[in-house]
Amino acid sequence: MRRQQAVAAAVGVVVSLLAGLMILWLQGYPAAQSYSALFSYSLFSQFALFSTLNKASTLVLTGTSAAVGFGSNCINLGQVGQFLMGAMAAAAFGIAVGLPKWLTLPLVILASIVAGAGWSLLAALMKLKWRMNEFITTLMLNFVADYFTQWLISGPMLDPRAYSPMTRMTNPQAWLGMYNGLSGSVAVAACSFAVTWLVWNRSKFGYECRVMGQNPSFAAAGGCAVPRNFVLAMLLSGALAGLAGGLMVIGGMQHRFVKGIGANYAWDGVMIAIVAGNSIAATGLYALFFAVLQTGAMGMELETAVPSEFALVLQAIVVLAVVASRESTRLFLAGLAARIRARRAIALGDARAAQAAQLAQRAEADHAAPTGGGQDEPRA
Amino acid sequence: MSLALELVRSSLLAATPVLLAGIGGAYTYFANVFNIAMEGMMLIGAFTAVAGSYAARSWVVGLAAGIGGGLVAAALFTLFAVALRTDEFVTGTAINMLALGGTTYALRQMFGVRGAFMSGQIQAIPRWNLPLGPVLGGHPFVVYVALALALVADWHIRRTRFGLRLRAAGEDPRVLDAAGVSSQAVRAWSIMISGALCGLAGAYLSLGYVTLFAENMSNGRGWISLAVIILTRGRPLGILVMSLLFGLFDGIGMSLQGTAIPAQLTQMVPYIATLVALRVYSLRSRNEH
Amino acid sequence: MSRDSENGAPGIQGIRMSGIVKVYPPDVLALDNVDIMIRWGTIHSIIGENGAGKSTLMKVLYGITPASAGRIFLDGRQVRFASPRQAVREGIGMVHQELMLIRSYTVWENVVVGSEPAAPLGTLKQAEARARVEELVTRWGLNLDPDAVVGDLSVSAQQKVEILKLLYRDASVLIMDEPTAVLTPQETSELFARLRQLNQAGGTIIFISHKLQEVLDISDEITVMRKGKRVMTAANEGLSRTDLARAMVGRDVVFAVGRQRSEPSGRGGTVDVGMKPRDAGSPAARGDERPHAARPALEVRGLSFTRPGAVKPALSDVSFDVSRGEILGVAGVEGNGQFELVQCITGALKPDAGSIRMDGRDVTGASVMERRRLMCSVPQDRKHTGSAQTMSITDNAIMAHHRLRPSLSARWRALLDPRACRGFCVDLMRRYSVVAPGPDAALAQLSGGNQQKVIVGREFSHDTGFVLLDNPTRGLDVGSIEFIHRQILNKRSGGAGCLLVSADLDELLALCDRILVMYEGRVAALLDGETADREAVGRAMLGLELSPEPGPGPGSEPEPEAGAEPRTEVGSE
Repeated sequence: MRRQQAVAAAVGVVVSLLAGLMILWLQGYPAAQSYSALFSYSLFSQFALFSTLNKASTLVLTGTSAAVGFGSNCINLGQVGQFLMGAMAAAAFGIAVGLPKWLTLPLVILASIVAGAGWSLLAALMKLKWRMNEFITTLMLNFVADYFTQWLISGPMLDPRAYSPMTRMTNPQAWLGMYNGLSGSVAVAACSFAVTWLVWNRSKFGYECRVMGQNPSFAAAGGCAVPRNFVLAMLLSGALAGLAGGLMVIGGMQHRFVKGIGANYAWDGVMIAIVAGNSIAATGLYALFFAVLQTGAMGMELETAVPSEFALVLQAIVVLAVVASRESTRLFLAGLAARIRARRAIALGDARAAQAAQLAQRAEADHAAPTGGGQDEPRA
Repeated sequence: MSLALELVRSSLLAATPVLLAGIGGAYTYFANVFNIAMEGMMLIGAFTAVAGSYAARSWVVGLAAGIGGGLVAAALFTLFAVALRTDEFVTGTAINMLALGGTTYALRQMFGVRGAFMSGQIQAIPRWNLPLGPVLGGHPFVVYVALALALVADWHIRRTRFGLRLRAAGEDPRVLDAAGVSSQAVRAWSIMISGALCGLAGAYLSLGYVTLFAENMSNGRGWISLAVIILTRGRPLGILVMSLLFGLFDGIGMSLQGTAIPAQLTQMVPYIATLVALRVYSLRSRNEH
Repeated sequence: MSRDSENGAPGIQGIRMSGIVKVYPPDVLALDNVDIMIRWGTIHSIIGENGAGKSTLMKVLYGITPASAGRIFLDGRQVRFASPRQAVREGIGMVHQELMLIRSYTVWENVVVGSEPAAPLGTLKQAEARARVEELVTRWGLNLDPDAVVGDLSVSAQQKVEILKLLYRDASVLIMDEPTAVLTPQETSELFARLRQLNQAGGTIIFISHKLQEVLDISDEITVMRKGKRVMTAANEGLSRTDLARAMVGRDVVFAVGRQRSEPSGRGGTVDVGMKPRDAGSPAARGDERPHAARPALEVRGLSFTRPGAVKPALSDVSFDVSRGEILGVAGVEGNGQFELVQCITGALKPDAGSIRMDGRDVTGASVMERRRLMCSVPQDRKHTGSAQTMSITDNAIMAHHRLRPSLSARWRALLDPRACRGFCVDLMRRYSVVAPGPDAALAQLSGGNQQKVIVGREFSHDTGFVLLDNPTRGLDVGSIEFIHRQILNKRSGGAGCLLVSADLDELLALCDRILVMYEGRVAALLDGETADREAVGRAMLGLELSPEPGPGPGSEPEPEAGAEPRTEVGSE
């Protein structure tokens, strides 16, 4: 089962990389050179590797956020909004709070978690109290959060010295350090990843969420508090997205909320969760893979002038190819097994028929008439 | 022209893409296909429409390219969700991302720009000066097409052989298969129809509403259409009314611009209005049950 | 028999299927070289236990399931049905076991869908279609309103709609897949009359069932299938139930299986006939006779429930007790409140009025988890509420135990101990003889019978005084059914009170100490399980008023205790 999934994933990744190669080649880019740039700029130097890890720290958080949501049957597509609210909370606290670093940092991180969870709580409550589909409400709340933060950074919180919409820089007490280009957010993301894995795979709450994700009626019949778990899963999902946003502010280079800070991280997270089949461990792996693609794409643009947006195309192809090959390898293997089994059955049947005919012949010779219309098969 | 008139006119313009995508989505709704790819189909349609119109200097080609773009996206959706049995939510999300990434990439690759592409060479959809008074006259003709399509779809879904099978495929595909009609084929048709209409909606956005292509210019309209479909349970005439209502809120938001309220906040109006509408709907459906 | 030699044989008029093999992916051999001959104008029954391949064979004939190998001949002419459409063109029609109807459509819409008369542009010719349906209804005396919405019809009326569909398509061969499974004995006789009528009008009828008596009642010819093979075809005359049963199961079958009711702590003649359902307090009187029965396992009093928006109540004023060491059966035509009753007991629904007590404790407002301490429940739908098919056997086995069984917790109580969970599952699989690759295999990989054993095992591992069983053996093979019946009887002799809701009258008659019949949300009758017969239960299911001494109905199955006087109790109106 698990091996079959790994094979499907490998097939999907290879197929999609080949498809990407084809696209580049058809457009007249030096395809092989572009790919070698893609990997050398993302893996084969310390700087490259650290850049990839920095990027992965964000993706792993939005990815686990989506995986926890989808895996519990909460269609939380509000990572965009939760990310932005988390980032905004981190920026606001980082600007306002000037306590010592050991106090400020946890406070700012907590603020981003609470903001993200709070934003998802809105959707959870709408579902619980008013039965509004969380999948639409989270999407709509994304736009609300987007315009709300845009308003804040171009109005009340605008840095008067800036040329484009952004907040002021946060206090240095709210900065995570950089160590040779490796951001401190990698450590925070790794910790939160470990905790999420433990909760998801080992705790009673995680077990109930996983069952809820596979079959909510079964969970309810088994006595799990489905509404409560739904809210908690939404909160956890929102908290992780909010933390991702917060780390962008405290762990990044700019230390402030700038326009477009969310980039496509939230939706990348959704895609990562999807290709990982909502497994937390696989989410970590795919987050690394997507980070490689995105970091490498910058290098590719530098070397062979392929627009770095190519990474976005490649990611979507990876998702389609991996997920489709997961299902179709299963169907293909099952179909193959069925054909083999059928062939064996036919051969056996033919042998039996021949044997029966022989028996009948012999019986006729002994003129003992066969039973009327009946067929007494020799028991094998 | 008075402010109220202007408001109604702009509502109609803003309602059209939501209406078109909504009608398309009604087909997938009745076929019970979870079609969240409408956003992506619209975006691809918007891009291919601009590309076609720019390349051929003809709005006809642009329009055709827009519909074609939507159809290609729908064909991809059909390939994965129907033929390869991939989960619809997964396929839809991936196509949305492919649309976003692909159009952004193509924008740079083909036109060498980031953000938005505009050019005098892009031919816009012509306006029809129908003698319908100051409110209804003088819109891009796709607006009229959309209004007519709502009526046609209503008839098509309720009164025809295809409609009967479509709804049957949605409610219980096994019944249709047992009756000798491939439910998969019916589902595929519904996706293709929604693709064409979403493509048209996209073409209208980039060649009618404005005359340019901007990154992610569909800006959630496909999702609002989805909300509208859920609110109206797929009934095309209901979609017509709800889209006009959405257009009105969009119009209100726009007419508030230039007042003391910041633009970013007025732009929230349609999304908040959608949330409010969902809330009202949940009240109503609770009373029904 | 020989695969090809009879191809051109003259004079054989009918459908011949030859060498049919069907493997369901990945590895389920459903049909193993089946040859069968069905003569025109006969009523031909195909009988076999669940999973013998009857339905699959017919789905192959109807073109809805492609066979892996084999050929089909009509009057010696080979045909190929890639879709039901082609089978319909040859006059073959099928009524599926699960009725294939669009619930929100009207009768006429259901009849025409797929073969609609249409004008140019695809507009439906509504009037024409409706008129044709109406004409057929009159001609065959089907007593249906073409404009009625199918979801509002009773199951037997829905079945008539299915037959109407075939008549509309001019089918001359009618395949009826287990049509009696959902009918009362009375409705079954009506169906048989209709089938004979169709047969006399020249129709060929293929009747699928696993009920011996029905098959003997209606067929001209009978084919028996076992484990995907045809084991016998014979004319009806001279066949007995014993012959058929032996062919079906492959060994001699004792018909009284499961009827060993007299357990030491069992009923001992204390049949609660005189106890009025609403008469609270009385159960204590008999409790003294039993070791475990200090309090009834379940007390239901005045339970009422109306679905929001519905006119008729789903449950009205339902009262009964389940004593310790007793199996109380619940019978009724589907949709007469059994579903809601079960949901109210499990806590999935909140009743409008009335109370539920388990082991003396009021649980009317309790959460599902609180009830789980006092009851275990084998749900009706294995896949829907009984399990998570994609998850491992372990994950399925620990449900509810994960909160109630401290040994599964890790040192930190919010966490589970994976090794303990796995051990629990392995132990459960051993005790309930689950055949599976291992505790980590996905539940979906197991056969239906083994899945049900996991579910029954999980539930019965809760040591509770009350056991709720909702159709626990639906769709299982004989071996699994026997196994599960034994487990239920064990539970009873262990002192638990069981409430067994079942659509299978034979199961109820075989296992239950008392049978409660529901009709339109009320308790229509409370019958003594030992003396009740199919007729009596069937009449109560149809809401026909029961006379105090119902005479044995015509054509009723001979029951061992048929002579005994059934002591019955009629519920309030």
